[in-house]
Amino acid sequence: MTETSERVLLQRPLRTAATVLALIALFAVPLWGQEAATDFKQNCMSCHTVGGGRLTGPDLKNVAQRRDRGWLTTFIQDPKSVIDASDAYAQELVKSSRGVVMPTLPAMTKARVEALLTLIDAESKLEKSQFAGVQISERPFTPRDVEIGQGIFMGTIATKNGGPSCMSCHTVQGIKLFGGGTLAPDLTTVFERYQGRKTLSTWLSAPATPTMQSAFKKQALEGEEILALVAYFQSTLARNPEDVSAERLNFILVGLAGALLVMGLFDVIWNKRLRTVRRALVQERKLETVNE
Amino acid sequence: MNVRSQISMVFHLDKCIGCHTCSIACKNIWTDRKGTEYMWWNNVETKPGTGFPTQWENQEKYRGGWELVNGKLQLKSTSKAKTLTNIFHNPSMPSMDDYYEPWTYKYDELFNAPEGSDQPTARPISMVTGEYINVEAGPNWDDDLGGSPVYAESDPNLKGLTEEQRQQLFAIERLVFFYFPRICNHCLNPSCVAACPSGALYKRGEDGIVLIDQKRCRGWRACVAACPYKKTFYNWSTGKSEKCVLCYPRLETGQAPACFHSCVGRIRYLGVLLYDADRIEEVAKLPNEQLIDGHRSLVLNPNDPAVIAAARQNGIHDSVIESAQQSPVYKFVKEWKLALPPHIEFRTLPMLYYVPPMSPVMAQREDDTVSSVSSEFFHDIEQSRVPLQFMANLFGAGHQGKVVYALKKQKAIRTYRRAKTVGDITMDVAERMLREADCTVEEAEAIYKLTSLCTFEERFVIPPMHREEAIEMMREPSEHKTSVGFGFMDAPQRGL
Repeated sequence: MTETSERVLLQRPLRTAATVLALIALFAVPLWGQEAATDFKQNCMSCHTVGGGRLTGPDLKNVAQRRDRGWLTTFIQDPKSVIDASDAYAQELVKSSRGVVMPTLPAMTKARVEALLTLIDAESKLEKSQFAGVQISERPFTPRDVEIGQGIFMGTIATKNGGPSCMSCHTVQGIKLFGGGTLAPDLTTVFERYQGRKTLSTWLSAPATPTMQSAFKKQALEGEEILALVAYFQSTLARNPEDVSAERLNFILVGLAGALLVMGLFDVIWNKRLRTVRRALVQERKLETVNE
Repeated sequence: MNVRSQISMVFHLDKCIGCHTCSIACKNIWTDRKGTEYMWWNNVETKPGTGFPTQWENQEKYRGGWELVNGKLQLKSTSKAKTLTNIFHNPSMPSMDDYYEPWTYKYDELFNAPEGSDQPTARPISMVTGEYINVEAGPNWDDDLGGSPVYAESDPNLKGLTEEQRQQLFAIERLVFFYFPRICNHCLNPSCVAACPSGALYKRGEDGIVLIDQKRCRGWRACVAACPYKKTFYNWSTGKSEKCVLCYPRLETGQAPACFHSCVGRIRYLGVLLYDADRIEEVAKLPNEQLIDGHRSLVLNPNDPAVIAAARQNGIHDSVIESAQQSPVYKFVKEWKLALPPHIEFRTLPMLYYVPPMSPVMAQREDDTVSSVSSEFFHDIEQSRVPLQFMANLFGAGHQGKVVYALKKQKAIRTYRRAKTVGDITMDVAERMLREADCTVEEAEAIYKLTSLCTFEERFVIPPMHREEAIEMMREPSEHKTSVGFGFMDAPQRGL
């Protein structure tokens, strides 16, 4: 093998690597940007908007002008320790969100925070950010809204995008016969827990829990549907979530009746089964003797 | 012609004294294990009686055997579809109470009772649960007079008897019974084999013994429901079903099965029958009145050169053919037509035959003397104390013809031997009676000899089993020889 050919062989990998790096650089920025947007949707959007007003957490439009980047990074990575360290601004934030502490996300690396902050900066400059939140009408609820909300909850009215009915997993007090599902929390007082109409609506537009996310990712609720559901949840506030006796009793009674029915059915199906020969024979003969 | 060999049996009921020695011999060898306490692979029933399990002959209840539906043979208890739907609950399953709950006595209480003013007793306890039980039934609860009228009067074979006949049968001075020992019939068309969802039952090719593979059995118990003779049993301890194996380990070493060997009355005969396997289905579909003739026609003449050639072609060894030529069963079934299959209307084509019993001589008490009611020395067969219809229900699928033939022949031979040895009947009368009974003098002598003076070798003509040939299909015989036989359960070791 000659010296020239050796050099050629060495050069080729170097050139390939350079090409790959160039390609990565070309696509990297938009990719990272997109990733941050998804991140924001999944982890921030249920409490924050960008230019959509306050939810549980404050509106993040121009947040960089309110605090410096260093503080923001520390806070986003570990909100609890900043609050515990008696930072005055952080204390103020907790007060304004009625005591709800921003959750600490385990894998919130510096790079991720940077990407998010960059994204928020970029979105703040826009006329209308994609994170302004779902625009839900603020008209007062009508009884019709409550009715539709109940329909969506119980699955008698299908949502436009074909999402699952709430009742598959959740319950609300006062649903007839069995109550709803017991897989997920009771939603009787969810309106109160989520501090009213605005936050609950936003939460529903971008649910923040993994279970809800996977269930509604491709079948998101529309603005009008959310309004109806929220109206329904407001109407259920008056009910007592502790009062579950009727549903439980119903469940046991219907279960017993069902079991009896199935047993009765088996008895009919195997009616001609062999029960006893000898005992019946002796019994029959004894009766005959008595009658004689 | 598809010639196969079958080890077949004849039980001569006229000789059975009902001593149950056969049952005990079988119990001691095969069913003294845990889970088999209630089983009697061999049992002796008193007839009229309900048998073991109670009323086993009543297939409206137990649904065993085959039935003809639109010209097709079908199992009464199950079908392919029913096997699936009933697999976890077979509706025709007898309970242990229908057999009986096996019991023993708590002898401890007897032997270790403290001294006291009253007699100590050993109370009965269940062999299954160990709890105290009230003994309500046994494997032959209607033994002799013990269970009547509850049991004897409920015998399914009393069907078709007039009210008068029934009353006479159980009247104090006319009361009569005989014994009916039963083992697995090792049928030609076994319904137990057909019903098994696991394919665990099989009929051995070389000798027709029906066996349950204990490794393949899954305990579905379809065989228990399907066998009309109720001769497969479920072992609650091993979770497998079991049945009479005709003591095949004894047969393979040239010994008669234990129940045959121990029979006090020498009622049992065993030998090879050659039969035509191609015609089994055709015969099993015949109408009731033709079944016995059809069944007999399946049995081939072992001296016929065509049969011998066909047998050889099917790999039946010459020694087995020779054995078939000596078979006492062939004589009873085919030549003399004395032996009849039990309940052939179940259509399993049983290969255990019975010589129907003569009833005791009819007598009547007048004041203080007992005298025979018949002018002849023996009573008329038509006037037998056990009504002919009862015998016909048991051995003739409800038809009396074959039973009457067998009984008349037996009566003629008795008369003939009486004329010969005692001489109070003239030979003319005896010979006329023989002719009427379709029997020659030579045949009468032969039947007499095989019935009364038979030796061990004449009763049991056991063919060489040629296990070395059967093994050869699966293993090198010399290699097999070194891996079987008696040995140590725990091998001895050096040291303490």
